[in-house]
Amino acid sequence: MQISGRFIDDFKTDRKGITPPLPAVLRLVPIGFYCAIAVAILLSAVFLLQYRIATQKRDGHRAQAGTLATQTANTLSERTALEVQIKKAINLQTWVSGSRPLQPLVVEISRSMGPKANILDLSLVRDEKAPAQVALSLKIGTDSVRQLDTTLEKIASQQYRAFSPTQTLGQGELDYRATLVRQGTKQTSPADPVQ
Amino acid sequence: MTSSDLKSVLNFSSFRSEPDDPSAAWKKRFPGKRSVLFGVGRSSLSWQAIGKGGGTEDVETVRADPKEILTSSAASIKDKTDDGWCLVSMNTRYTISLENNLSRRPGSEELLKTNARSVLGGRYERGKLYAMTHNPETNSSLLVSFEEDQTRRAESMFREFGFRVGRICCGTYVLLRHALSVTNTSKGSDKPLSTLYVVLCEGAVCALVQDQDRWLELRSRTDVYDADISAVGDILAPFHARLAPEVGITLICDTPLSGVEEVLSSHFPGRAITDLSKPGLLAGLLTQN
Repeated sequence: MQISGRFIDDFKTDRKGITPPLPAVLRLVPIGFYCAIAVAILLSAVFLLQYRIATQKRDGHRAQAGTLATQTANTLSERTALEVQIKKAINLQTWVSGSRPLQPLVVEISRSMGPKANILDLSLVRDEKAPAQVALSLKIGTDSVRQLDTTLEKIASQQYRAFSPTQTLGQGELDYRATLVRQGTKQTSPADPVQ
Repeated sequence: MTSSDLKSVLNFSSFRSEPDDPSAAWKKRFPGKRSVLFGVGRSSLSWQAIGKGGGTEDVETVRADPKEILTSSAASIKDKTDDGWCLVSMNTRYTISLENNLSRRPGSEELLKTNARSVLGGRYERGKLYAMTHNPETNSSLLVSFEEDQTRRAESMFREFGFRVGRICCGTYVLLRHALSVTNTSKGSDKPLSTLYVVLCEGAVCALVQDQDRWLELRSRTDVYDADISAVGDILAPFHARLAPEVGITLICDTPLSGVEEVLSSHFPGRAITDLSKPGLLAGLLTQN
């Protein structure tokens, strides 16, 4: 004979709305819920960490880009300054090269000045269309016309002949203008005007 | 689905039995909770605190009207519980009888709680609550009955003092079933047990004669003894002449009683006494099952 003693007869009354417990397998639902929360928190932490790292990298790159832009601007300004200097140097070189045929003439004009005369203004302009012609404009501080003669002789000694000369004698100033044409040699001067 | 349903799922309370679910074991209904076992007699009330792990304290018994006792002691007793949950062992005004030819259709024991008339037939009495245990080898059955009004009054009395009754049972009947289950363990045994079961619970006495697999006679009385258990012998004495000489006595008490074996020995000289009693036995049975 076997009798189970594990069951207790209960005489309590008034039990309403008693619901049996849910099946144990459904515990997976809240467990899964809590696991999902844990994974979400973990992933959020990882993503937040990566976001901060990426933000730091981005800020670093931006700072580096700003520094490089500043360096580029400085380099460009230095380059522009250098280009200006180069342009000036080229112009100077061009002027020097272009003025070389006229240098003996300028030297002779300078040497022709006497003790009481001085050059107030001297301009030699070569015409681009007629390179053999040089427009001379000379202002001499003197009271004598003879000084002009001496100067013209020196110009003539350099194989230049004056055409269409005009001279004006003022108060202590002699203004002379003429077109000089080199005689006897073929003109090979540069095309750029020299002032 | 309400937010409380979701909350109960997320805190796993939906997967535990409800505190008021009688089909679940006490330890599953109140895991890790303290409770109190009350023993209600005609003019006495006892209580025994049950700890979180199922451990029990000593039984305290007061001889007076239970309501008066609760009036003075309910607060201190309630401090021994979590949320006021308690078990109640009704030790008076019940009847345990030996019946024959009760219905044994499948589910009849559950049907007995809801429609006792269909199970008991002419034995049914209006306004009573029943429980039964069938002898699997014969057509006899143990039938315990309570006045429904009495259980309602007990519930309302404890509710009045702030207790929440989780279970009401007959302690004597629980102990008798436990003794039967412990001693009759093998099905179709060659040497079935013959013994006199003696159950003592808070003044109630129940004796059942088992001859091999047959239940022959049952006697049950309530409010038989107080501190002096000599009256127990008077109830049991008539059995001595009807028992075979080799038949022993199986004794079971809700908690060990001093002097009970001497009383039994005096009325049943020469018979072996097997004592199944141990401290906190009834509280352990009610909370473990």
